[in-house]
Amino acid sequence: MELNILLQQIFNGISLGGVYALEAVGFGIIFNILKFSNFSHSGVVAISAYFGFFVSRYIYTHFLVTLIITTLAGGLIGVIIEKLIFRPIRLKGAPLTLFLVNSITAAMLVQQFFAATLGDDYYPYPVFMKQTSINIGNLTISKTYTLMLIISGLVLLLLTYVLKRTKVGIALRAASTDIRTPSLMGVNIDFVISVAFFIAGVLGGITGYLLGMTYSVDPFIGSMILKGIIAAIIGGMGSLGGGVIAGLLLGGAECLLIAEIGSSLTQIVIYSGIFVLLLIRPEGIAGKRYIIKA
Amino acid sequence: MSSPLWKRGVRGDFVEIFKSIGVRGPMEFYIKVLEITCLHTILVLGAYLMTGLTGLFSLGQGGFVSIGAYTASIAYLHFNVPFPMAILMAVLMGSAVGFLIGIPTLRLHRDYFLLVTFGFGEMIRAALLHLAQLTGGALGIAGIPKLVDLPMILISILFITFLIYNLKRSRFGRNCIAIRDDELAASLMGINVYSHKMKVFILSSAITSYGGALYAFLIMFIEPNLFNWLESAKLIIITFVGGVNSITGAIIASVVYYSFGEFFRFVDVWRDVLLALAVLFVTIFRPGGIFGSWELSPTKLFSWRAKKG
Repeated sequence: MELNILLQQIFNGISLGGVYALEAVGFGIIFNILKFSNFSHSGVVAISAYFGFFVSRYIYTHFLVTLIITTLAGGLIGVIIEKLIFRPIRLKGAPLTLFLVNSITAAMLVQQFFAATLGDDYYPYPVFMKQTSINIGNLTISKTYTLMLIISGLVLLLLTYVLKRTKVGIALRAASTDIRTPSLMGVNIDFVISVAFFIAGVLGGITGYLLGMTYSVDPFIGSMILKGIIAAIIGGMGSLGGGVIAGLLLGGAECLLIAEIGSSLTQIVIYSGIFVLLLIRPEGIAGKRYIIKA
Repeated sequence: MSSPLWKRGVRGDFVEIFKSIGVRGPMEFYIKVLEITCLHTILVLGAYLMTGLTGLFSLGQGGFVSIGAYTASIAYLHFNVPFPMAILMAVLMGSAVGFLIGIPTLRLHRDYFLLVTFGFGEMIRAALLHLAQLTGGALGIAGIPKLVDLPMILISILFITFLIYNLKRSRFGRNCIAIRDDELAASLMGINVYSHKMKVFILSSAITSYGGALYAFLIMFIEPNLFNWLESAKLIIITFVGGVNSITGAIIASVVYYSFGEFFRFVDVWRDVLLALAVLFVTIFRPGGIFGSWELSPTKLFSWRAKKG
């Protein structure tokens, strides 16, 4: 492979990895607090992708404005899903498997609902930029990918600030360590969980918008989130930093492998790689060993 | 979909369906529906054994269905293995792969297990697409003869149900339920968690690949996208709707869902929307599933009659 093509692939891979990292973090925030794999995150992503499409196509075509609207809508959807689906079973003290079942069901509901109402058609986003690529030397860099990278980076920085410095962020981190103690100390745990779902929803909204803009929207766009879930797990459940690293690695590896050996072999190689990784290091790249509490 | 659902007559749709699947009249259609329903019930029983009994959450059931279907049909078509041997080979292959996958993954925590089995399912799909000389790639394998009929599937279901029912009431089954409810407590009571999980996983893989092998010889056409992760998830979801503790519930839920799906083929994707809504309602208002832990058992049936008479 020539050097400039290689560099280009690496750049694309890292940009895609940035989106995977966003997914992984949105997924990891919920896992940290409620300790279950939140597949309904793919539902949030799919709804936001469609929402972003309709807003930018029919209401107001401006990249930044529609991005912000979609992001807020994503957060709202996250909160609604939590209130409708997870709060009732949480209050009944249901086992964790039931959360998992409900989250998978919610993902299925969203996907099949869009498949039933809008069909398998592709909905391309309107074109925001006149020029689609920038040339640096003999490198051709896609503007969409650059935007993806910049936005993911900014959002992750902002999230780090929120988690480390604000009161809600501290409450979130406290609840991640142990959900019962903060509630005994006077933290409104219902509110904290809602905030967690809001943040995850915001991340899901951005992911949906970026994915929809880069590819186009179809009912199965939610399955893209599975890569993010994989990144979260190989990064180490509960470690957001690990999720980011794993997301970037996964995106880079995927782009390079697809260019080199084709997409069906890539799947095999990636999943066997994960298999081997989990064999050697079951706790993920940055995770702590998981202790099962009675 | 040409015209909206509410504008079309139900009857007309049935005629269309008859034509599309090549059956002559209603009777044949009912048999076809029953066959497909029963086949899926076998797969649901495999999922029940794993999720309902032991609490293992696997999204890789589809992988085992594909392994069963492809092993049996390749053995039958390319290597001229007789039909019963082909089925047996599929089951053995499924168990062997289950064992190999189980060695590293069953030690992992629940969510990792979920991911690895999911990855396994996707890997099998990609591998089937890639090995095009043997598997026909995306085109799949067509021209498999129809060697499976309704009595054979019904006997299989009865046998598997009998097996799981007795397994559930045995010491082994109770140990599995203990593992499902609390792994740590179970291991402190002296139950070998890993070996129990392994046995259940192998047995479940065997049942699922058996179902897959029957599938190939019933539908007569297989392709790599036969069973994606959503279909695998559906199997687990159905056991949860029926009742986590109840084989009866799992079977009834599966029969209702799949026969509903076949009868109302023209609502197609909406049936999954309905299923999802039903599941959410059930889990929110009745977390134990519709049937909870209620079982239909012959002894209870007879004692109830005796009391009444």
